[in-house]
Amino acid sequence: MKANWDLARYFIYLLEIIKNVSAPDIFYVEDDTDFAFLTKHAIEEVNNGLSVKIVDNGKDALDTLQQLCDNRIKPRLIMLDLNLPGMSGHDLLKKIKEMPFLKYVPVVFFTTSDNPKDIRASLEFGANAYLTKPSGYLNLVSCLHSLHDFWFTKHVNLN
Amino acid sequence: MTNYQVDLTNCDREPIHIPGKVQSHGFLVAVEATTLNITYISQNIADFIKDNAQNWLGKNINDLQKILLPGLSAQQLNQLINLGIGSKNFESINPYNLELNGDPYFLILTQSDGNIILEFEPTDSDLDVDVQRSIGRSVSEILTGKNLNAILTNAAREIKKIIQYDRVMIYRFNEDEHGEVVAEVKNDDLEPFMGLHYPASDIPKQARQLYKLNLTRIIADVNTDASPIVTFEQGQPLDLTHSVLRAVSPIHIQYLKNMGVASSFSISLIAHGELWGLVACHNYTPRFINFKAREAAKLVGQILSSALEYRQDEEDTEQLVALNSAANEISARLKSDKSTSGSTIVAALTKGDVNVADITNGSGAAVIIDGVLSVLGHTPTGEQIIEIAGWLKANMADSIYYTHRFPEVFSPAKAYSATASGILACALSKDLSEMIIWFKPETITTISWAGNPEKPAEPGENGIMQLSPRNSFETWEQIVKNTSARWTNEEVSTVLKIREEVIYAINRRANEIRLLNERLQLAYEELDTFSYTISHDLRTPLSSVKSYSEFLLATNKSLDDKAKEILNKIVAGADKMNMLIKEILNYSRVGRAEIEFNKIDMTALIGEVAKEVTNAVKSDNLQLTIGDTPNIYGDQTMIMQVFTNLINNAVKYSSRSNPSIVEVKGRVEDQETIYSISDNGVGIDVNYFSRVFELFKRMDNAKDYEGTGVGLAIVKRIVEKHHARIWFESKLGSGTVFYISFRNY
Repeated sequence: MKANWDLARYFIYLLEIIKNVSAPDIFYVEDDTDFAFLTKHAIEEVNNGLSVKIVDNGKDALDTLQQLCDNRIKPRLIMLDLNLPGMSGHDLLKKIKEMPFLKYVPVVFFTTSDNPKDIRASLEFGANAYLTKPSGYLNLVSCLHSLHDFWFTKHVNLN
Repeated sequence: MTNYQVDLTNCDREPIHIPGKVQSHGFLVAVEATTLNITYISQNIADFIKDNAQNWLGKNINDLQKILLPGLSAQQLNQLINLGIGSKNFESINPYNLELNGDPYFLILTQSDGNIILEFEPTDSDLDVDVQRSIGRSVSEILTGKNLNAILTNAAREIKKIIQYDRVMIYRFNEDEHGEVVAEVKNDDLEPFMGLHYPASDIPKQARQLYKLNLTRIIADVNTDASPIVTFEQGQPLDLTHSVLRAVSPIHIQYLKNMGVASSFSISLIAHGELWGLVACHNYTPRFINFKAREAAKLVGQILSSALEYRQDEEDTEQLVALNSAANEISARLKSDKSTSGSTIVAALTKGDVNVADITNGSGAAVIIDGVLSVLGHTPTGEQIIEIAGWLKANMADSIYYTHRFPEVFSPAKAYSATASGILACALSKDLSEMIIWFKPETITTISWAGNPEKPAEPGENGIMQLSPRNSFETWEQIVKNTSARWTNEEVSTVLKIREEVIYAINRRANEIRLLNERLQLAYEELDTFSYTISHDLRTPLSSVKSYSEFLLATNKSLDDKAKEILNKIVAGADKMNMLIKEILNYSRVGRAEIEFNKIDMTALIGEVAKEVTNAVKSDNLQLTIGDTPNIYGDQTMIMQVFTNLINNAVKYSSRSNPSIVEVKGRVEDQETIYSISDNGVGIDVNYFSRVFELFKRMDNAKDYEGTGVGLAIVKRIVEKHHARIWFESKLGSGTVFYISFRNY
């Protein structure tokens, strides 16, 4: 049964990818659907023109990223939660850094943990930033605002 | 001859079994058991044979018999002697009736080493009743007594009836061998001796020994001279242990004369092979009772002895049964599963119908377990018991200690000798911090001695110390203080038994505590997991509540003012809850954290805290002064938390004073460094003093100020972790000072 479901989900994703041939600006892995929902809206509030692709577990994330690679589609920013079902954010980060096509896409951790150990490990594995999830929607919007300013506006300018 | 030291023990050395004399109301001949040749003879035989006693030494008894006992054939006498030797017992022969110069006499045969002693005494008695007949009735009279005292008094009365002496007393020997008159029947005109005590030296050791071997002894008349025994056996005096005519010590004769006694008769009372006491009979005129009467009295004495033995056993057994049943009940309670905590061990010992005081004959007991004193029955005061325990701790060499004269070894106890002249202590722990003490009250406060018991020795005419038996038998009262009844072997062994049980229970309790500790450790670990759950699982949905509310507010343009207000309240509630969760996490983190003691630069630390606090307030109203800031040892992060909390509080609760004055300073003392944080704020209500440091406790007057009620609880936890102390002084409306004292390491 479960295998069938997985298969069904796989086709849905394939359909989505095909439908969404243009690259997502932001690829976000987050298992908290509430937070994912709020973040998606906050990003829209910051910049309505950005496209966001969200998946809620590590395995789907890997599959989707592989699809992106195969289609030579490169997101502009990857955001990862740390505590994910199935595969941790750290493991996911390692896999991403092993994909030559995605190797240079900036990866930002976005998590509840403020544990210094987690922060240090994330940076060591090659994360480009580590953000603790802010409390409340207003804070989230301002947080994403500065994230956007740094990785989309200034970065672009630099390039 | 040098001055021979005469003392009370001097009588002990007098060889009274070989006095070399017999009392002169009869005479003695001893023959060698095989040849029947005469070996010893008393000089007063001359009164009967009109010849010197010496002349008969070495001659055969049959030669003497021809002159002395013409009515008796040689064969008869030889048969008599051989019968006794053959059966090794002369009791069935004694007394043998015969006639001497026309008077009826008794011949009494006894054996003394290799000699057979023949003693002749008159049949004529000053007694004219038929003793044999009255004995049966006497015995049944004696045994009607319900208790020991009644039996003794009955016995004295019956013996007086049989022998008709002026005074019949029953003496009982105490453990220290002094005697006490426990029963007395006397002629009305005589002064009573009942209850009087006689020093042990009045009846010296070797006399006691004789009393055990020869159960009766008569002194027919103290005013007649004893007759010497002659013999060729130089240096081998005849042993008169079993003799009926044995002359007694001149010291004893003098003793009796001083008392005004003319005749004395005694019957030994023996219980369990030991001399229990004596029936002592005194007559104030010479009074001779013959062998048969003495044997009758002896029989009464023997019956009394077995009654004593039985009664004593019965009373001892009753007592022992009572002690044992109390001990058994208590050990059953100790063994029950319930008695695992300290308080229930104490309860097993002290609560219920019987308690640990009942396992001895003491009048009270004290139990010290877990530093808590429980008292039962009559005991000294708590303070005094602590004093006793202190002395025991310093002086107890063994796990058990007892004395019946405690105030004599520990003089402060004289103040409470009435309740604690006797103590029996048993230690329950190696360090002697836990023990049980039993108490016995002072018992004999006055001993009435028959005369001064210290028999004076006086130098005689020739300068040699002479023992002079006391003249006065007037009651001489000696106050015996600081002494209780002795602790018996039964009491001590019962106590030892209970001690084992208590120690076992304590050990079991220690095990239970260890298990509890392990479980507590597990619970702590679970709490740790719980804390994590709170932080993660609880905060995430809470965050959603807040975020969705804000999201609605930010994105839904159709909301009216009322809806906006409600959503804002939801956001505020979520914020408050989030803060509480964070504080609880902080609080539990302090409990589990290991402290790293380091020297802390307090000037820097307080400076940093002050800057942070001042920045947060952004008010010109605040006057924060920092005095001396001596360094302390502690955990940097935790101490920072302490000062942040306290200074924050000071600033917060004085923020409505104008100006708000907060001062932080420290001073170094001998053992400690004391910091104070003072403010001129709202102060703390006295009624809340005890609850200030409790979790989530906020004072009524603090409701208007923001806070969770966790801060001071965290401070207290940290302070305790540092083995420091925290306290405060406060006055409602005028301010508060918190003090923290850190140890100087």
